[in-house]
Amino acid sequence: MSLLEVHNLTKYFGGLCANHDISFSLEKGELLGLIGPNGAGKTTLFNCICGYYPVTSGRVIFDGEDITHLRAYEVARRGLARTFQVYVASGDLNVEENVMVGAFMRNRSRMRARAEAREILKELKLEPLAQNLVSELPVAAQKRVAMATALASGPKLLLLDEVAAGLNPSEIDEIMAIIRHIHEDLGVTIILIEHVMELVMRVSQRVIVLESGRKIAEGEPQVVAKDPEVIKAYLGERYAKEQMETRT
Amino acid sequence: MEALKSAFDFSDFPRSDLIVAGLGALFILLFPLFPHSSFAMATMIQFLMFSLYGMGWNTIGGYGGQVDLGKAQYVGIGAYTTAVMLIRWDIPFWISMPIGMCFAVIWSFMIGYPLFRLKGHYFAIATIATSLVLLDLFQVWDFVGAARGLEISPIKYSPPDFWRLIFKEDIYYYYVISGFFFVGIFYINWFRNSRLGFQLRCIKDNEDVARSLGINVHWAKIKTYAIATAFVSMVGSFHACYIKNIEPEDTMSLDISILIALMAMLGGAGSLWGPIIGAGVLIPLKSYLKEWLGARAGLLGIDLIIYALIIMVISAVEPRGIWGVIERIRGKRGK
Repeated sequence: MSLLEVHNLTKYFGGLCANHDISFSLEKGELLGLIGPNGAGKTTLFNCICGYYPVTSGRVIFDGEDITHLRAYEVARRGLARTFQVYVASGDLNVEENVMVGAFMRNRSRMRARAEAREILKELKLEPLAQNLVSELPVAAQKRVAMATALASGPKLLLLDEVAAGLNPSEIDEIMAIIRHIHEDLGVTIILIEHVMELVMRVSQRVIVLESGRKIAEGEPQVVAKDPEVIKAYLGERYAKEQMETRT
Repeated sequence: MEALKSAFDFSDFPRSDLIVAGLGALFILLFPLFPHSSFAMATMIQFLMFSLYGMGWNTIGGYGGQVDLGKAQYVGIGAYTTAVMLIRWDIPFWISMPIGMCFAVIWSFMIGYPLFRLKGHYFAIATIATSLVLLDLFQVWDFVGAARGLEISPIKYSPPDFWRLIFKEDIYYYYVISGFFFVGIFYINWFRNSRLGFQLRCIKDNEDVARSLGINVHWAKIKTYAIATAFVSMVGSFHACYIKNIEPEDTMSLDISILIALMAMLGGAGSLWGPIIGAGVLIPLKSYLKEWLGARAGLLGIDLIIYALIIMVISAVEPRGIWGVIERIRGKRGK
């Protein structure tokens, strides 16, 4: 049985079609990359899966249960955690407290939540920052805190929304190591939305490409990267044609 | 057990804070032993009452970031429940107070459920509206004395009556409210580090993130609003026995709602000591300004101008209030 199945998911905002008839499934233990140009509907797809937006039609099955019409917090409690593209941290929570909020999802005890949070901070090498305010951290560290918080809720599936955006190459390497660690050592299934191709192509086992709300390709990273449809979507029709001509 | 331990756990405050807090507590306990005027005593009781109102407000307004300007309606519910029960059926304070709290909490669910669909300023305005509606209802409701209000006449009872909370000397009232005050501090200390407290601070940060962590945002707000309400209603019941003469205008007016919120914001919303500091500054200021300026010079209302100025300065310089200023001087963050 697949961990996540998305059947013919369609989402309209008024007359604008953000996701059109998208279907895919995800096995336990997989690391799936979700790519596509800006405005392709990747984040919308996340929001539909997680219950942030009501879907226009289609179904989402998570771990054998239909979660299509559940609310966001109910979806989260079933073990589907996510991070956000823009992580706005304005408040008065420090890093450890922030991660504790995640840990509080599964237990009521403050002592245990704190112990779990410390464990995860250690795993993600955030320990030295534990007492800092999240809003005072650099972007790269904020994204790691967001991942740690999501992880603290003990998810079966983790949706990461552009965790590498705006980072420099060495920070991207760090994030990549963390993603691999979460996936391989902690055994969490992951879907990754990413613009940084280097990251997606290297860590994903499978990639889905969205363009204008439609799924245009799916497969192994190397294969998808050569798909003319995908090249067209990213680089434009003329470039794709030239590429095909030079290859033949 | 863990909850109790957590209520008495102040270990995350620096030692200097705890020393100041300890001295403050000692002062509160010993104050009646020093020579004092009855005016100073009344001011101290007001200070303790408003600290408690502020603590209640601080749960939803400070930790939760939902600015509530309708707390007076719960003062009214508490005060009227106690007064009506005592006058009509001779039900003593210690029974009517929890009943009043139940009424207030039920009312808070009824208005909290729809109101928390609103955000920011809209929520604040809606809380004012519900409070004013209740005020108008009480002004025409004969059962509770309509606009004339209710009077508890102490002659009927034989003070000191601990059971009904009818005393001649203020010192008894003083110790009852300071008992509430200390329980309130320990409760809030537990609350700020409880699961709900953490979830609330996350909600204030970012509601979408809160949802992604399995938090039912709407329900968490309603629950906290009920806690805030219970605090305010409890003190409202005390108010009825202490003042003995309650009118809708005195107990449920917009002034009281605003004063409660102001106090917590001035001291520092979202911090344990904030409401106490706020009440400690504003209440003596209010009493003495009224006494000195209002009565003598006939300049009624100048006290209001002065609060307005203070609030403008505070919100321009440091939105986290006096506590924020203290933390900034120390270069550390608020608790």
